Amino acid sequence: MSMSPYSFRLAAQSLHREKWINLLSVLTIASGLLVISVALLVAYNVNAATGKLPEKFALTVYLNDNLGREKIDALIGALKKKQSVAQVRFIPKDEAMKELKTMLKNANYVFEGLDENPLPDSLEIRLKREAVSPEEVKKLTGDIGRMQGVAEIDYGEKFLAALHSVKSGVRTVGLSIITIIVAGIIFVCYSTVKILFYRRTEEIETFKLLGATRAFIRAPFIIEGGVIGMAGGLISLMSVYVLYYVVLTRMSSVVPLLSNILFPLDLFLLLPLSGLLLGVAGAVIAVGRLRY
Amino acid sequence: MIQFSNVTKDYENQTALRDISFVIEKGEMAFITGPSGSGKTTLLKLIYSAEKPDRGNISVAGWDLDQLKASSIPYLRRNIGVVFQDFRLLGNRNVFDNVAMALRIRGMGEREIRTKVFETLKSVNLRHKSDSYPKGLSGGEQQRVVIARAMVADPTVLLADEPTGNLDPDTAESVMRTFKDINARGTTMLIATHNRELYRNTGRKVIRLEGGTLVGVGPG
Repeated sequence: MSMSPYSFRLAAQSLHREKWINLLSVLTIASGLLVISVALLVAYNVNAATGKLPEKFALTVYLNDNLGREKIDALIGALKKKQSVAQVRFIPKDEAMKELKTMLKNANYVFEGLDENPLPDSLEIRLKREAVSPEEVKKLTGDIGRMQGVAEIDYGEKFLAALHSVKSGVRTVGLSIITIIVAGIIFVCYSTVKILFYRRTEEIETFKLLGATRAFIRAPFIIEGGVIGMAGGLISLMSVYVLYYVVLTRMSSVVPLLSNILFPLDLFLLLPLSGLLLGVAGAVIAVGRLRY
Repeated sequence: MIQFSNVTKDYENQTALRDISFVIEKGEMAFITGPSGSGKTTLLKLIYSAEKPDRGNISVAGWDLDQLKASSIPYLRRNIGVVFQDFRLLGNRNVFDNVAMALRIRGMGEREIRTKVFETLKSVNLRHKSDSYPKGLSGGEQQRVVIARAMVADPTVLLADEPTGNLDPDTAESVMRTFKDINARGTTMLIATHNRELYRNTGRKVIRLEGGTLVGVGPG
């Protein structure tokens, strides 16, 4: 496809001449991309917020009584060899009681009448970030449960499942919204270019009779589609940034949690670029389907 | 330069041209004549491939139109200048841009376009109207803009469909003088007209059509 300087001039003339149709398309595309960017903003922040949780996640392995230091060391060694394990800490029953007493120092009556320490020795296992998924953890606990000397394993099964369902829910809903809106934007560009084409049928017919190639006729429409899409992308970028700024400055005083919201810098490039690409895609489909 | 061999063209149930054969040599200036509906415009359309013949062969400027792919039609048309009966001027562009369009579609540079367009407009006495829009021009002026657009790219063949149809005798004579000048530079010309005055006593080849049939080829 040859894009001569004159193709850009023809596109600019048409953008000016048909400014109301074009403006309407730009605003429609901007609205669509705004919804997408809000969805991306939510997904980005959910991801950032939940991203630090795996570091705090730990498995507690309770050991059988009187296991002996040698067997405990062997168990620690075996656990450290596992790929998903980042760190293993041995917590003797006395230390566990000390920690418990520190935690419940305002409720000392709980320990009254206790002659001996009922807590078992335990191991605290921290996992590598990529291993903290419900399936991975379930497999690991199964393996550890079969090891000699292990009495019981405790981990936040419900918390972990909830965390993952939130993440996958955000991802599924986000992807569905993005897919529908992307198709909508392509359709808007497709329809706009088709209308522009039909409004210039007479001119195009004259171009053809003068010897214009299909590429010469198509190029201005593809440029126009790209410009409309990119303009929509830029307006959506400005809108989403204003929205972010308002939420950050005005609403965070009411809901303090909102002060932690992050704005992904990638959006500065992503929105105009995706607008451009979607606009070009719609225009290419439109001029490809037209008979002339 | 232009050769028709047993060409027939039908429109639905009606025959527009029947078994037409003739030859126009390189550099020749010829006329097609006949009453309205005799097939003059159809014959010109077949030459610039706006229509396809149902039977027969056409050759133009070395192009065999039977073998011509759709993607090659623009390149055939770049060898042919056409003065359309309905002008086909772009109303939202001024005279300069209308004429320049024939060069822009060829990808010519703007500097060269300016030189060629002004030169051509001068030759049809319209240099002073280059910024005017078609609506602000008289019929004769519009006709000359179309001629300027057809000749600006120095085509091998120039076709004109009723070029003096809407003109007064003085303007018609001026247009014919322009055509003779173009022809004198070596351009092959075919002019469709029902105005006998244009070819009478010129000694040029005249192709006579009636009801889509060739009734004679001879000097005017």
